[in-house]
Amino acid sequence: MNFISDVSNSMLSEFILFITIFILSVISMFYNLKFHKLSKWIALIGVSFSLFSLKFLQLEPIFYAFKESVISDTFTVFIKAVILITAFIIILLSKKNVTKRNHKTFQFYTLLLSAVLSSLFVVSANDFLTLTVSLEMLSFCTYFLIAYKKGYLSKEASFKYIVTNSFATATYLFGVSYLYGITSSLNFGTINDYFLQHEPTVFYTISILLISVGLLFKLAILPFSNWILDVYEGSATSVSAFISTIPKIAVLAIFARLLVFIFGYSFVLPLILIFLSVITAVWANALAIRQRNILRLLACSSSANVSYMLFALSLVSVYNLSTVLFYLLTYIFMNLGAFSAVIILENSNYSSKLYEFKGFAYSNPLFTLAFAVCMFGLAGFPITSGFIAKLYFFSAIIRSGAIFIPPLIIMALTMAIACYYYTKVVKLMFERNGISENEILPHRASSPTVILYACAAITVLVGIVPVGLIEVCKFIAYNL
Amino acid sequence: MDLKVLVFAPLIFSLIFLLPIFSGRSILIRRIAKTLAGIHFLYSLMFLVFFDNSQTYNYPTELTFMGQKWFGSLGISLSMGLDGISLLFVLLTSFLIFIACLASKGAVNSKHSLYYALIFILETALLGVFSSTDMFEFFMYWEMELIPMYFLISLWGSGNAKKSAMKFLLYTFIGSLFMLCGFLMLYNFNFISTSQLTADISSLKFDYDNAPMYLQIVTSILILIGFAVKLPIVPLHSWLPSAHVDAPTPVSMLLAGVLLKMGAYGIMRFNIQMLSDAFLILVPYIAILAFINVVYAAILAYYQVDIKKIVAYSSISSMGLVLLGLCSSNSIGICGAVILMLAHGIISAGLFFVVGIIHKRTGTRQLVLLSGIASVMPRLAGFTLILVLASIGVPLLMSFPGEFLIFFGALISSLTNNYLIQVVALSSIIILVLAACYLMKLMHGVFYQELSEQYLKLKDVTVNEFIVLFTLSLIVIVFGILPMSIIDIISPYINVIVEAFGG
Repeated sequence: MNFISDVSNSMLSEFILFITIFILSVISMFYNLKFHKLSKWIALIGVSFSLFSLKFLQLEPIFYAFKESVISDTFTVFIKAVILITAFIIILLSKKNVTKRNHKTFQFYTLLLSAVLSSLFVVSANDFLTLTVSLEMLSFCTYFLIAYKKGYLSKEASFKYIVTNSFATATYLFGVSYLYGITSSLNFGTINDYFLQHEPTVFYTISILLISVGLLFKLAILPFSNWILDVYEGSATSVSAFISTIPKIAVLAIFARLLVFIFGYSFVLPLILIFLSVITAVWANALAIRQRNILRLLACSSSANVSYMLFALSLVSVYNLSTVLFYLLTYIFMNLGAFSAVIILENSNYSSKLYEFKGFAYSNPLFTLAFAVCMFGLAGFPITSGFIAKLYFFSAIIRSGAIFIPPLIIMALTMAIACYYYTKVVKLMFERNGISENEILPHRASSPTVILYACAAITVLVGIVPVGLIEVCKFIAYNL
Repeated sequence: MDLKVLVFAPLIFSLIFLLPIFSGRSILIRRIAKTLAGIHFLYSLMFLVFFDNSQTYNYPTELTFMGQKWFGSLGISLSMGLDGISLLFVLLTSFLIFIACLASKGAVNSKHSLYYALIFILETALLGVFSSTDMFEFFMYWEMELIPMYFLISLWGSGNAKKSAMKFLLYTFIGSLFMLCGFLMLYNFNFISTSQLTADISSLKFDYDNAPMYLQIVTSILILIGFAVKLPIVPLHSWLPSAHVDAPTPVSMLLAGVLLKMGAYGIMRFNIQMLSDAFLILVPYIAILAFINVVYAAILAYYQVDIKKIVAYSSISSMGLVLLGLCSSNSIGICGAVILMLAHGIISAGLFFVVGIIHKRTGTRQLVLLSGIASVMPRLAGFTLILVLASIGVPLLMSFPGEFLIFFGALISSLTNNYLIQVVALSSIIILVLAACYLMKLMHGVFYQELSEQYLKLKDVTVNEFIVLFTLSLIVIVFGILPMSIIDIISPYINVIVEAFGG
C-alpha cells in the first residue's frame, strides 16, 4: 500500500516510461524488421503519457518517497517536464536518422527511453545511492547509444567515453564514501542536518570536490571534457542531440540541488567552479574557431554554454537559479533547432562538413532563415531568446557582487569569439557554391523540418515576449 | 503621430520585400523602396512640426504585450520618446536612408529584395537606438543593428569585404559586451541606492553615497569602451577604414552618416548625463584621446592613396572634434558637438557618394590614376567643392558653426583646474589646416590637373545623382546660414545634460 502511494505520488511518469520500455523490448523479440515504424509510435505515446502523468504528482507539501530516497517537488516536476518534452522532440528527430543506417530501431528506442528514465531518476534523487545508480544507468545507456552508429568512429568515441567516464565515476564514488564516513548517512537531508550542527572539516571539502568531478564530467567542463568533440562527431546525430541536452539538464538540476543543500558549507567549491567554467569557456570557444564540422562546432558550443550556466549556478541564489533555468530552456530550443537542421541535411545525403552549407540561402531561403535564427540565438543577438538569456546571465553575475566582474569580462570576450564562429556558419550559406546549385531540400513537412521551424519560432517569440517564461523560471527557482 | 509606427514601419517594409512576388523584378523593388523611404521621411518630418521643446519627452509611447511590460518585474520596458537631440538624429537617419535608397541605383546589382529588406531592418534598429528611453531597449537596438550591417557589407561589398565585415562585427560586439557589463552595473547600483528596479534612462542615478567612487569610474570606462568602438576613439578605430572602404557606396554613406553618431550620442546620454562624477575624473584622459584622434587620423588621411580611405580617415578626425566638444561639458561645447555630428552626417554621406560616382565612372579610386576630370564632369566638381569646403569648416557652411562652438566651448570650459582642455583645444585647431591639406589634395588631384586621355568620354552626373548631390549640398548651405534653427531645438535638452556640471 505504501509502495503504491509512493509510486502514484512521486514516480508515476517513471513508472509509465518503464512500462513503455518493457513493451518495446518484448515486441522487439517478435517483430524485428517488419514493424519498425511501430516502435517510434510506441515511444512517442509512452513519453506523452508520462508527460501527462506529471499533472497528477503531489507538489505541495514536498513529497518524500521510498524512505526519503526520492523527492518530488515543483522543481523536480518542472525539470522532468522539460526532459520529457526534449525526449519527445529527440524521438521525432531520430526516426529517419536511425532507420537509414540500422533497422533495429526497437533497440534504439529502448536504449533512448532507458536513458531518459535514468535522467528522471537523477533529477528526483534525494540520496546518494539513488543518484549513483541512476547516473551509472545513464552512462551505460549512453555508451550503447554512442556506439549505435555503424563505422569505426562511433566505436572509438564510445570507448573513449567509457574509459573517461569510469575514471569520473570512480572519483565520484570515492567522494561519496568520504562523505558517508563523515556523516554515516547517504541521505541529502540527514547530511545537511549533520553539517548544520557540526563544523565542516577539510575532508568535507575534499569529498565534495571529488563528487563534483563525476558531475562535471557529464557537463563536459574542462579537465573532464576531452571526450565531447569525438563523441559528437562519432555518434549518430540524434544521439548527439540527446547528449547535448537531456543528461545536461538532469545533471545541472541535481547539481543545483546539491549546491543548495550539501555543498553550501564550503567557499572553495564555488571558486573552483568559477575558475573551471571560465577556462572552459575560453577553451571551448577558442577550439570552435578552427572546426570544419558542424557537429564538432556544436560540441564546443554546448560545452561553452554549459560553462556559462555553471558560472551562474555556482553563486547560489534564487535569482541566479532562475537565470540558469531560463538560459537552459532557451539553449535547449536553439540547440535542438541547430541539430534538426543538421539532421535535415543528413537525410538529404549531405555530410556534416561546414562547406556543405554554401549556397543554401539561394536554394532554400526558409531553411536558411530558420537555421540563421537558431545560430544568431546561440550567438546572443537581439530579438532572439539568446539575447535575453545573455542579458539575464550578465545581470545575475553582476548582482552577485563586483568581485565577479573580471571573470565576467573574460566570459564576455569568449562570447564575442562565439559570435564570430556562429556568424561564419550563417555567412557560408550566403556564399555562392562554386560548382553547382544545391538541390532543394524536401519541403514536405517531415518532422525535423517542422521542429526546426518550431524551434526558430520559439526562439524569436521568447526573444520578443520573455515575460511569461521569466516569471515561470522565478517561480520554480523560488520553490527549490 | 505615433512613435511606434515611425520606428517599426521599416521592419514591416522589410517583410514586404521578402514576399515572393518581388523575386527578380529589380526596378520595381527599387522604386517601391524609394517611395516607402520617402514617405517615411515625410512622416518623420511631421514629428519635427509638432515638436514642443518644453517637454522632457515628446510623443512618449510604450510597447506592451497584452498589457504586460517587456520584462515586467525587472522594470525594463520597451518605452520610447523623443527629446530635441534624438529628434534630430531620427530625422537624420530617416533622411539618409532615403538618400541611400536613391544612391543604390547602380551601386547594387544583385539580390535586390534582400538588400532593401536589410536596409529597412537597419533603419528600425537605428531609429530604435535614438528614440528608446530604456537602457536595455537601447542596448537591444544597438546590437540589432549589427546583423543587417554585417550582411550589407559582406554580401554587396567589394575588395576584402568578408574580412572587413567580420572585423566590424567583432569589434562592435566585443565593445557592446563591455557596455552591457557597464549597463548592468549601473542598473544594479541604481537598485541598491534607490531600491527601485528601473532601467529608465531619465530616472537612473548612480548615487555614490552607497557605492564607492572607483565603481562608478569602472562603470563609466566599461560603457565608454562600447561607445569608443563605434565613435571610434583611436586605439579602437581600425575596423572603420576597412569597413568603410569595402562597403558598397550607400552602405558607406549610412556607416559614416548615422552609425558613427550612435557612439557620441551614447557618450552624451550615459557617460556625461548619468555618470557625471566619473566623467569629471576621466575628462583629461578623454580629451587627450580626442586630440590624438583628431591629429593622428588627419595625418593618416593625408598619406592615403585611395580616395575612399581619405574620406574614411577624415570621418575619424571629425569624430575626434566631436569628442572634444563633449569633453568641454558645457552647453556651448555639446551644442557644437551635436551640430558637427549632424553636419558630418550629411557631408560624409555626400563625399562617399562622390567617391562612389568616380569609382563607377573611372573604375579606380587611386589618387595617382585620377586627374583633371573637372573638365568633363563640371557639375560633380562643383558639388564636391561645396562638400569639401564644408568639411574643412569654411564659414556659412554647415560644419563651421559646429567647429566654432566646439572650440569656443572648450576654451571657456572650467572642468579642470590646469587648463588641459584649453591646451588640447588650442592644439586641435591645427585640424583646420590639416583638413584643408588632405581634402584639397584630394580635390586638386582628382579634379584639377591635366585630363588624361582615357577619361575624355566620362559622363557628368545623371538626374538621379544630381538630385542626391543637390539635396545634400542644399542642406549644407541652408543650415550653415541658419544654425540657430538647430540650436533652438536642442538647447533646453543640452542644459539638462550639463546640469551636473553647473551649466
